[in-house]
Amino acid sequence: MATKKKKNLAYKLDKGLSRLLPALGTIALALLVGGIIIAISGNNPLEAYAQMFKGAFGSKSRISETLVKTVPLMLLALGVSVAFRSQIWNIGADGQFTIGAIFAICVTLYLPGENIFILLLSFVAAFVGGALWGGLSGFLKAKFNANEVITTLMLNYVAQYLLAYLIRGPLMDPNGGNNPQSASIPEAYRLPRFVSNLRVNYGIFIGLAVLIFIYYFWRSAYGYKLKLVGASNTVAKYAGLKVSGIVLFTMVLSGGIAGIAGWTEVFGAQYRLLDNISSGYGNLAIVVALLGNLRPIDIGIASFFFAALMSGGNAMQRMTEVPYSVVDIIQGLIIVFVICRTVGQSNGWKQWIAARRNARKAVTAGAAEEDGGEEDNG
Amino acid sequence: MEYAVELRGITKRFGSNVANKQVDLKIRSGSIHGLLGENGAGKSTLMNVLYGLYKPEEGEIYLRGERHVIDSPLKAMELGIGMVHQHFMLARPLTVAENIMVGTKSKRGPLLDTRRVMREIQEVSDRYHLDVDPAIKIEALSVGQQQRVEILSAIYQGADILILDEPTAVLTPQEVQELFVILRKMREDGKSVILITHKLDEIMEIVDEISVLRDGEYVGSRVMGPDVTKDELTQMMVGREVLFDFSDAGTLTEPGKVKVALRDVHAKNTCGVEALRGISLELHEGEILGLAGVDGNGQKELAEVLTGLAKVSEGEMLYNEKPIQNRRPIDYINDKIAHVPEDRQTTGIAMNFSIKNNLIIKNHGAKRFKKGPVINYDVVNAYAEELMEQYHVKATGRNEIIKNLSGGNQQKIVLARELADEPEFLIASHPTRGLDIGASEYVRGQILAQRNKGVAVLLISADLEEILQLSDRIAVIYDGRITGILPRGASAEEIGYLMLDNQKKEAPHGNQEKEKSRV
Amino acid sequence: MIQQIFTTTFFASVLGSAIRLATPILATSLGEIYTQRSGVMNLGLEGTMLMGALAGFLGCYFSGSLALGVLCGMAAGVLMSTVMAFLSVTMKANQVIAGTALTILGSGLAAFIYRSVFGLQKSPPQVENFRALPIPGLSKIPFFGDVLFNHNLLVYIIFALVPITWFVLEKTVLGLRIKMVGEHPRAADSKGISVAGVRYTAVMIGGAYAGLAGAYLTIAYMNSFTDNIVSGRGYIALAVVIFSHWKPSLAMWGSLLFGFANALQIRLQALGAPIPNQFLLMLPYVITIVVLVGVSKKAEFPSAYTQPYSRMER
Repeated sequence: MATKKKKNLAYKLDKGLSRLLPALGTIALALLVGGIIIAISGNNPLEAYAQMFKGAFGSKSRISETLVKTVPLMLLALGVSVAFRSQIWNIGADGQFTIGAIFAICVTLYLPGENIFILLLSFVAAFVGGALWGGLSGFLKAKFNANEVITTLMLNYVAQYLLAYLIRGPLMDPNGGNNPQSASIPEAYRLPRFVSNLRVNYGIFIGLAVLIFIYYFWRSAYGYKLKLVGASNTVAKYAGLKVSGIVLFTMVLSGGIAGIAGWTEVFGAQYRLLDNISSGYGNLAIVVALLGNLRPIDIGIASFFFAALMSGGNAMQRMTEVPYSVVDIIQGLIIVFVICRTVGQSNGWKQWIAARRNARKAVTAGAAEEDGGEEDNG
Repeated sequence: MEYAVELRGITKRFGSNVANKQVDLKIRSGSIHGLLGENGAGKSTLMNVLYGLYKPEEGEIYLRGERHVIDSPLKAMELGIGMVHQHFMLARPLTVAENIMVGTKSKRGPLLDTRRVMREIQEVSDRYHLDVDPAIKIEALSVGQQQRVEILSAIYQGADILILDEPTAVLTPQEVQELFVILRKMREDGKSVILITHKLDEIMEIVDEISVLRDGEYVGSRVMGPDVTKDELTQMMVGREVLFDFSDAGTLTEPGKVKVALRDVHAKNTCGVEALRGISLELHEGEILGLAGVDGNGQKELAEVLTGLAKVSEGEMLYNEKPIQNRRPIDYINDKIAHVPEDRQTTGIAMNFSIKNNLIIKNHGAKRFKKGPVINYDVVNAYAEELMEQYHVKATGRNEIIKNLSGGNQQKIVLARELADEPEFLIASHPTRGLDIGASEYVRGQILAQRNKGVAVLLISADLEEILQLSDRIAVIYDGRITGILPRGASAEEIGYLMLDNQKKEAPHGNQEKEKSRV
Repeated sequence: MIQQIFTTTFFASVLGSAIRLATPILATSLGEIYTQRSGVMNLGLEGTMLMGALAGFLGCYFSGSLALGVLCGMAAGVLMSTVMAFLSVTMKANQVIAGTALTILGSGLAAFIYRSVFGLQKSPPQVENFRALPIPGLSKIPFFGDVLFNHNLLVYIIFALVPITWFVLEKTVLGLRIKMVGEHPRAADSKGISVAGVRYTAVMIGGAYAGLAGAYLTIAYMNSFTDNIVSGRGYIALAVVIFSHWKPSLAMWGSLLFGFANALQIRLQALGAPIPNQFLLMLPYVITIVVLVGVSKKAEFPSAYTQPYSRMER
């Protein structure tokens, strides 16, 4: 009994570490290569990284900026992870984000009155907008077997042009000069800040709430169904699941969460619609979801790290000769290294993760863990 | 004596699993050689080594007395070795000529030499009476024709040693005879043929010599002659006296009332061809109805319509006297219809799920497994451990990923899951396919136990021996129709007669038209 | 305004511009046809093109030779796609992930290298780019001369790649191998074809084409480099490949459709036409989705689409 307990503790410790260490190793390697590139360009990498660190964490306002960037990134990555877990490759987070933001702002600008219900309604509208946009791809996949990679990608552009049209047309701010932007939302609707001069706001709670929701979602029977569809459509069908319905649901949920990200960005940070409001977070969300093993908690951590990279990168660009693009390079390298860490594994996320665990099993013989689940019942 | 092929001390490992242990094998030139062994005995692995697909850890290969290192299929082909795989290696949207050409060097350098290749293919085809049109696309060919394309391809590429992996498994008896004609012709031409099989009967009449593998090891060889008996070879293959006798395992005297009734059921397969053409059957409680037939005569579709995985286009299915056709799959599960599917690894289990998660794929929504909306893994764990113990599953634990288990243990998981919720109707499709003798006996025992508990069992199997052993009644399916229903104790000959539909038709469903269209 | 639109000069200029705008999309999509026929979806075209654009510009800027610029662009494309092939073929990574990595990495690298080489400058450095090369005689044909025969050399070359690509795919050993590997990699393997080798080749050809397209942008269509010079053309090329059912000739029409929508939009905007041009820009994407739905029903995708191949697994 005693040995079993010991084993269990050792196992848990190992499990935590074995999730963290590879990620840290990957990041360290990417930073190292990034440093070499900076050095080649004739700059001092240590100084650049020091500035980057200061830029991300150096003051209250810097930390606040990092947190402001964390929220949409985390939400988008969580949304993406829902689809990826069931092997649906939703790369349309940007578009779903945009439509969510458009829906939300339409509710606040067009519905009369200023009250809490309208605010809540705008939140629901953002979810619905993202869900519709994602759900459209889900529907096309479920009904016509249309490759979701292509449809979500195409819908990104459609959303982008739709936004461009709206903020130059029907939604254009009448008092905004001739700027392509919408009117801003009433002050009362803005998400409260913790400190008045720092941009960090209650959006964080929304991000955390979604994270917790997703955490329990994966432990629910419905989450199980999604994972089963991800493991094999044939098996899922045989097990009595309606695969097309689950594919649709997955994309609705995935898109809906991206829509919520759009809501937090509008109500917490921008207060209005602008061109490219999703600022390319969609691609990054894929990286974050990947670095976070598609697990909600890991995704939370990874998105904070990436947000720090971005806000730090901005500061670095201002303070040194090193351009921001180094951050892109580091982010790209991180995915490359994550992929390379899983040498020789075949397609599919499940296998991918299973492989990473199998490699670990040598260390933790006898105490394996849940496949793709969050449950800690080893 | 010169041997076409001589393998010495071949050892091939996959991880910790040894597929071939110090195997020696000699193949005479100009002979047809049978390579016999059960599933998993290492036959295919050995031949894949010879064909250069796998690299052996130890051992040497001699061809016509000379040592060669065969490290790729390309090398094997250069050395005159051709292989016809069990799953055909043909790209469906491409033509016969393109499929063959892709493996050969073009005489026009980087450009394809389609016209010349087509002409030459036609010549080979005529010479061996293969009757293959080089310009036709693969997707328009029947299974038997595709096999001939594979043989043609090997011959065209100059193979004088041809390996055929389970060539008869997909063929009708008539097609088997046609295949044998081709093989004899090859032997006449001085070519050597290796037939991989685990079915003794089918090759007895054609092979000159048989070698037997068991558990990855070479057991011995016999030159065919009157002194070589089936029993002797079977014993070499199995390594002990054969097969547990189930014949008196608690036969019920009277079957119960009718549990399932099919009335003139029609259904189409995934390609839109009518695969069931008016099936009528009755199945009683406490009865095993064996469904015998050559693969591909509608067995798969029958299992699918009975579980909601395929649609009934015409006719009626009654279960407990109520119509059940064309509902959602979940409805059949809820009605306590259990299904051991024919393709375990793609349908029956999620290969990357753990054992316990595989055990709950159908009932994860049940109240007892849930705490609110969340799955209660404490209960699931206990459930999994209990079933694993009950079914003697060999694994490191309930969390082991199921793809790491042996086929037999995987099938036990499927059975455990399907039988756990006390089914009333069990459809078992090829339940012992790919399992070793021990596991097969276990699975058969479980099926009998269900019958004895009063469950209605539909046993679908291409293995006549299994059907004869277990069934209370035997229905024979051919071309989507039931050609006869026989009582227990019917002879294999009678069944075989019905399996061929006694009219000597050409091929199973849908192929006749294609045959015609090609002429 | 209407009179301004319905003139032959207007149409000739729109169509001519459509062809120039279609050219980079065409080159990239033709390359991607090789790649996808072999079973790989290179989602990293955006990054590949950008690196090609940068390398083409640098090569031309420092050597003064346009030909060298083109070669540099293609080489960079090959290099980038080698990374893609490594990740998706050797590492068997999910191709969506690998492509995303490549896009992010490519855009980062290109911007970084450009900044490192030229620093911050007020006016961007420029090169002497490809000049229009009117085809004697033909360019004098009214209307058609302006539309078809008054372009720079790279436009002609890239449009000539349409029949060349068709020929390679349908009439050569390499083309057949690419199709075989995309349809049934195991069969190809058993016939002695290196699946990895063919896929690397196909992905690298795709990279060369995308690099060429990138170079076209910096040293033919424009004469300088900016970070966003590709602006989604890589993704558009991906759409065109689906749109074209993996056929070079249809890829040409698909590219022209995107080029036309873009050219018309630019011209109309220049005229100050009160038509929301966003819908015009949106249209090709919507059409692509519609086409995709049609293609998917008939299952015309290569059978091994996005499936890594491993000899050990079924």
